[in-house]
Amino acid sequence: MRRGFLVAGGAGLVALALYPLVGSGYGVRFMLQLFMWIALAQSWNLVSGLTGYVSFGHVAFFGTGAYATAILVAAHGWPWAPAALVGGLAAVALALVIGYPCLRLKGPYFAISMLGLNEVMRVLVSYFEGLTGGGLGLSLPALYASVPIYYAMGLSALAVTAAAHLIITSRFGLRLMTVREDEIAAEAMGIDTACHKLYAFLLSAFVPGVVGGLFARDQGYIEPVAVFPLAFTITMVVMVLFGGKGTVWGPVLGAACLFVLQELVWANFIYLHQLLFGAIIIIVVLFLPRGILGVLQQRYRLPRHV
Amino acid sequence: MSDLLGLREARLAGAGGGTGAILEVSELIKRFGGVTAVSRCSLALEPGRIYGLIGPNGSGKTTLFDCITGLARRDAGAIHFRGRRIDGLPAHRIARLGVGRTFQVIRIFSELTALENLLVVSGGDRAAASERARRFLAFVHLERLESEFAGNLSYGQQKLLELMRVLMLDPTLILLDEPAAGVNRTLLNELMEAIERLRDEGRTILIVEHDMKVVMGLCERVFVLDHGEKIAEGPPGAIRADERVIEAYFGR
Repeated sequence: MRRGFLVAGGAGLVALALYPLVGSGYGVRFMLQLFMWIALAQSWNLVSGLTGYVSFGHVAFFGTGAYATAILVAAHGWPWAPAALVGGLAAVALALVIGYPCLRLKGPYFAISMLGLNEVMRVLVSYFEGLTGGGLGLSLPALYASVPIYYAMGLSALAVTAAAHLIITSRFGLRLMTVREDEIAAEAMGIDTACHKLYAFLLSAFVPGVVGGLFARDQGYIEPVAVFPLAFTITMVVMVLFGGKGTVWGPVLGAACLFVLQELVWANFIYLHQLLFGAIIIIVVLFLPRGILGVLQQRYRLPRHV
Repeated sequence: MSDLLGLREARLAGAGGGTGAILEVSELIKRFGGVTAVSRCSLALEPGRIYGLIGPNGSGKTTLFDCITGLARRDAGAIHFRGRRIDGLPAHRIARLGVGRTFQVIRIFSELTALENLLVVSGGDRAAASERARRFLAFVHLERLESEFAGNLSYGQQKLLELMRVLMLDPTLILLDEPAAGVNRTLLNELMEAIERLRDEGRTILIVEHDMKVVMGLCERVFVLDHGEKIAEGPPGAIRADERVIEAYFGR
């Protein structure tokens, strides 16, 4: 059974790796964006799905990575790949500065503080025009790199999913869940919850920073409203809740289902698309509070690595 | 079930050194707004004994537990554990030093399995930790439910799980907040037996309890709190006859 999964997974990865050779331009771009959403949803899951600290400003890390990368590429002539990695580090640095005070806040207060972070970042980026181009945005030198970025996005999604697997099946991951389950009991059982929350937060910021950098390179042009949209955070949240928070494959499943659905609805009924996510949130909260995998896990006692 | 706990080898020979108190609370004060929950309370526990802490509702028993375990900050006074000052340390540090507690209202990790509830407490080798956790689960007859989410267990099972989780800390001092509440008689007898054996292993146990059968049957010494003040201290028999205690419970 396990071997079957490994073989199927390996075959899937090979197919995805070969896909740009045969796929259409649209197909490659579609997959590239799907990878991006998997990476973002999976990252959000690492902090919010596991510790229950709902980050409503996770796109701030995405935007920070996008700007760090774009500045390095446009103003300093860096190649995009190392620039995107620095974008990830910039996001981690921001998470360190923000996480230390904000993770002391509980429940809705933390969520609101993160919402504020995103607004602050957008305003800051608009304000420092000399560095960021302000509201006019920042253009990157023209480069056709969809296929390399396809691979980079794919690797990001794979890396964060592998990290989620390692974390969720480890006692470190279980301890993160104890923060979600009962922070006071966790403390009384010798778990340093402040440290655990901060580690999870830092881990969850890196890949969105990298992916933001890749997004900036892929788009060739970024502006504050394009890389700090609240809608991105909400999409991450919905994908994780739909697939199953705190599970390894829930975010992947959620991202895949909702992104495909979004593309279909978007292509056919342009206005309906805006209603879609709202409707899904309501349905999930009312009928599937644990998400698809969460329900299966509860019912069939699936092991943690599912 | 004699050596099912299998902890005797891990017993801390130097727990308190045999002389002096393992826990010493001096002149402790804790206020919540205008309410003084604990008022100049002092008590000392000697190693390897079972103590009771009783008092009417709102007398400050749980707040005292919270101060000892670092979940609440004391306003004045000092707490020493094995000679080391612990008030002011974060709760997780105090737990790691060997102070374990259960809660009046059960606080298990509902969406972790029974086994995982125990595993998160231990560091070190995972295989060894799993084996130890399974032994604890078997001790309270929960081995068949190890992969069940703890939230799906019955009240009594959750209570036992919470106690076993404390033991994963290998605590020198165990604070039990109403262990008998809501537990049936058969289970209660097992529980009392287990507590006695923990004491025999050299651990010190402080029990908040309303069930007088438990207090009289187990405790070697009892402290009585009323309005946050310690109004009496002594062997259970003497406490039962103490006029101030009777007054605190029944009024004049």
